[in-house]
Amino acid sequence: MLKEILRIIGREGYISRPKLAAELNISKVLVDDGISQLLRMGYILEDKNGEGCSSFCSSCSRAKACSKEVVKTFKISEKGQRLLQASS
Amino acid sequence: MNSGTIALVGNPNSGKTTLFNALTGSNQYVGNWPGVTVEKKEGKFEFEGKKYHVIDLPGTYSLGAYSEDEVIASDYILTGNPDIIINVVDAGNIERNLYLTTQLLEIGKKVVLALNMIDEADKRKIEFDIPGLEQKLGIPVVPTIASKEIGIKELIKRTVEAMNNGVVTKNPLRYNDTIEHHIDHLTKALEKVNLPYPARWTALKLLEGDTGIFQKLKDYQYFEALKDIEDFYKYHSQENFELEIIDSRYAFAHWVTEGTVHRPEEEVITLTDKIDKIITSRYLGVPIFALIMLLVFQLTFKIGGDILGEYLASIIESLGGLAETFLAYINAPGWLIAFIIDGIINGVGAVIEFIPIIVVLYLLLGFLEDSGYMARAAYVWDELMRRLGLQGKAFISMIIGFGCNVPGIMSTRTMDNQKDKMITTLIIPFMSCGAKLPIYSVFIAAFFPNHGGLLLFLLYALGIIIGLIMAKIYSKALFPGKSSYFIMELPSYRMPTLKNILRNMWDNVYGFIERAGTIIFAVITLLWVVAVLPVSAAPYSEFSILGRIGTFIAPLFKPAGFGTWQEAVALFAGIPAKEAVIGTLGMLYAGEYLEGGNFLVNAIQQHFTPLTALSYMVMTLLYTPCAAVLGTVKKETNSRKWTIFVALVNFAIGWLVAVIIFQIGSLLGFS
Ligand SMILES: Nc1nc2c(ncn2[C@@H]2O[C@H](COP(=O)(O)OP(=O)(O)OP(=O)(O)O)[C@@H](O)[C@H]2O)c(=O)[nH]1
Ligand SMILES: [Mg+2]
Repeated sequence: MLKEILRIIGREGYISRPKLAAELNISKVLVDDGISQLLRMGYILEDKNGEGCSSFCSSCSRAKACSKEVVKTFKISEKGQRLLQASS
Repeated sequence: MNSGTIALVGNPNSGKTTLFNALTGSNQYVGNWPGVTVEKKEGKFEFEGKKYHVIDLPGTYSLGAYSEDEVIASDYILTGNPDIIINVVDAGNIERNLYLTTQLLEIGKKVVLALNMIDEADKRKIEFDIPGLEQKLGIPVVPTIASKEIGIKELIKRTVEAMNNGVVTKNPLRYNDTIEHHIDHLTKALEKVNLPYPARWTALKLLEGDTGIFQKLKDYQYFEALKDIEDFYKYHSQENFELEIIDSRYAFAHWVTEGTVHRPEEEVITLTDKIDKIITSRYLGVPIFALIMLLVFQLTFKIGGDILGEYLASIIESLGGLAETFLAYINAPGWLIAFIIDGIINGVGAVIEFIPIIVVLYLLLGFLEDSGYMARAAYVWDELMRRLGLQGKAFISMIIGFGCNVPGIMSTRTMDNQKDKMITTLIIPFMSCGAKLPIYSVFIAAFFPNHGGLLLFLLYALGIIIGLIMAKIYSKALFPGKSSYFIMELPSYRMPTLKNILRNMWDNVYGFIERAGTIIFAVITLLWVVAVLPVSAAPYSEFSILGRIGTFIAPLFKPAGFGTWQEAVALFAGIPAKEAVIGTLGMLYAGEYLEGGNFLVNAIQQHFTPLTALSYMVMTLLYTPCAAVLGTVKKETNSRKWTIFVALVNFAIGWLVAVIIFQIGSLLGFS
C-alpha cells in the first residue's frame, strides 16, 4: 500500500486522498495512515507553506490573513525517488 | 485466586474502557475522543465461578516506541505477561485497526478480536463475514456493542475458552525473502541471550530501525547479541526495510478484509473523483476557473457595490454633513473644518466607502478556498504554467498575492530553488491586491456601473497575463535553469463553514480598516498640508506646493491620457499605500463643490473619460508596488538592486500598457 501510494503520487503529480482511496480500493482513513507513514519515514516531505509570515511580520495587520495555508504542498524526497526508481 | 489476566488492547477510541466497564461493572471514565485512558487500569470479573483480571490499556495504533501510549501498551503486552489479549477493534474502521492486530499476532500472544461498535458499522451498511475473518486471522472474532453490553457474554466465553485450549497463535505474516533472511539472522543472534521479549519480534523491530529497542538491548548489556547486530547495521543498508515491513502488514490486513468486509461505495469519494475529472481537466480547467472568478466579481459588485455600498456611502455623507454643522456650530477654525471635511471625510472616507466590496469579495473567495476549490485552481494553473516552462507553485503565491502582495512574496520562502523564488517575487506585484479595489470601484462607479464585475475580472486577468509574460521573459533572460518539482494536495470537497469564511473575510477587512486609520490617514494628512500651503496660494490649486510638484511630473502621463497634476500626485501617493490614490483624489477634488450623488464619482466623471479611466486603472494595477511590498522584495532578495529594479521596471510596464491602451483606444475612436 505504501509503495503504491508513493507510486500514484509520483505518477499524478498531486495528492488526492479520495482518488487514492478509490484507486487502491481502500478506505480514506487508511490513505491518511499511509500518507502519514510516508511522511514519518521521510519518503515524502511536507512544505511548511504557512510559516512564511507568522515568524517575522506578526506586527503586520495582515499577518493572520497570510499565515494560513491555501494549499498544502509536498515533495518526494530523494529517498522516495530512489524507491520509485528501484521498484519501477 | 486469579485464573487468568486479560489485556484490552486497541486503537484509541475503539471502546476499550467501555468494554472494561461492561466486563468488570466498574465505572471508568469513558470519553468520545482518543486518548482518554492514559495509563493502565486494572479490574476483576467472575465467570463460571472463576476470577479473572482485566487490564485496560491506553489506545495505540501500533506497538513501537513512537509515543508514550505505544510504549505503555507494548511494554505491558511484552513484559506484563497477560494470558490473553482482547483486541478491541472499531468495526467501522477495521482495515486500519487490523494493523495493530497484525502486530499482536506477530508477538505470538493469544488474541481474541472484539469487533466492537458493530451497531455503528451496521448503520453505515458495512457487512462482515465473521467465520471468514476468523479463518483468515486464525483467532476468535466476536461482534460486540460494548456501550449496550451486547455480545459481552459470548466474548467472555470465547476468551476463556481460547485461554485454556492450548492452541498456539500462529504468526500469519511472512515478509519478503530478503527480510525473512535478515530476521532469521538476527533472531539467531538474539536467541543467544535471555531476552524478555520474543526474539523474532525483537529482530523485526531492529530491522524497522526502532532505536528504542536497540537502546534497551544496550541497557540490559546483551553484548553477545549487540555485536552481531552492530555488524549487521554496518554491512546492510536498511533503507527501505521499515517501509517493506509496514507495507507487508498493510497488505496482510488488506488481504484479511478482502471478501470478508463489504462496504457500500463511499459517495464522497466517487463524487469528488467525478467533479475533479471535469474541474481539473486539461482543457476545461482554466476556462472553468475564469468563469467562476467572473461570477465572483459580478456578485461582488452586485451585492457589495450596488446594495451595501450605497448604504455606507450615504452614511458617510450624512456623517460629513453632521460634522460640518457641528464644526460650524462650535466655531472651529477654517483650516480645521477644511482638514476634517476635505481630508478626512472626502479623503479617508472615500476609501472606507468601499469596504462592502472588499467584504463581499473576500467572503466569496473564502468560500472557494474553504470548499477545496482554490486548491484545484492552483493545480490547474500549475499544469498550465509547467507547460509554459514556469514554476507552478508560483500560482499559490499569486493567489495569496490577490489578498496582499506582501504575504504572496513571503510565501516564496518555501521554494527551495532560487530561480523560482526570484521569478515569483518579481511577478507577484502584478497581482491586483485588495488595496487596489477601492480605486477600481470608484472608476467603475463613474464610468462602467453596469459592467463592474466584468471589468474587475479583466483587470485581475490582465495582472495575471502580464505576470506570466514577465515570468517567461525573466526565466529566459535572467534566470535560466530548471524549476523544482513539487506535489500539491487536492483536499476533499466540503461544505465551507461559516466560521472559516467569516474569519477569512475579517482577517482581510481588518487589515484594510486598520490601514485606513493609520497609514492612509497619515499620507492624506501630509498631502493635505502641502496642498493648502503656501497660504498665499488657493488651497488645492496648482499653485500649492503639491500642485507645483504635480504640475512638474504631470506631462509624463500625457501619452496615457491623464495628464493633470492631481492624477499624477495621486499615483505617487499610492506608493506608501495604494488606497491613498483614491483618498488623495478625494481630497484634491474637494475644492470643486459638486452637487448631488457621490461627490468623488462626480468629480472623476469631470476629470476623466471612459478611456482615460481605463488607462488610469491599468496604470494603478501594474505600476510600482507599495512601500511594504518593496520592503519585502528588499528583505527577501536581500538586494537593493532588485528592489529598485522592481520599482522602476514595474512603473515602466504600467506606463507602457496604459499608453498602449490610451493610444489604441483613441485610434479606434474611443474616448
Ligand atoms: N455506538 C457505539 N459506541 C460505543 C461502543 N463502544 C464504545 N462506544 C463509545 O465510544 C466512545 C469511546 O469509548 P472508550 O471506551 O472511551 O474508548 P477507548 O478505547 O477506551 O478510548 P481510549 O482510552 O482513548 O483509547 C465512547 O463514547 C463510547 O460510549 C459501541 O459498541 N457502539
Ligand atoms: Mg480508554
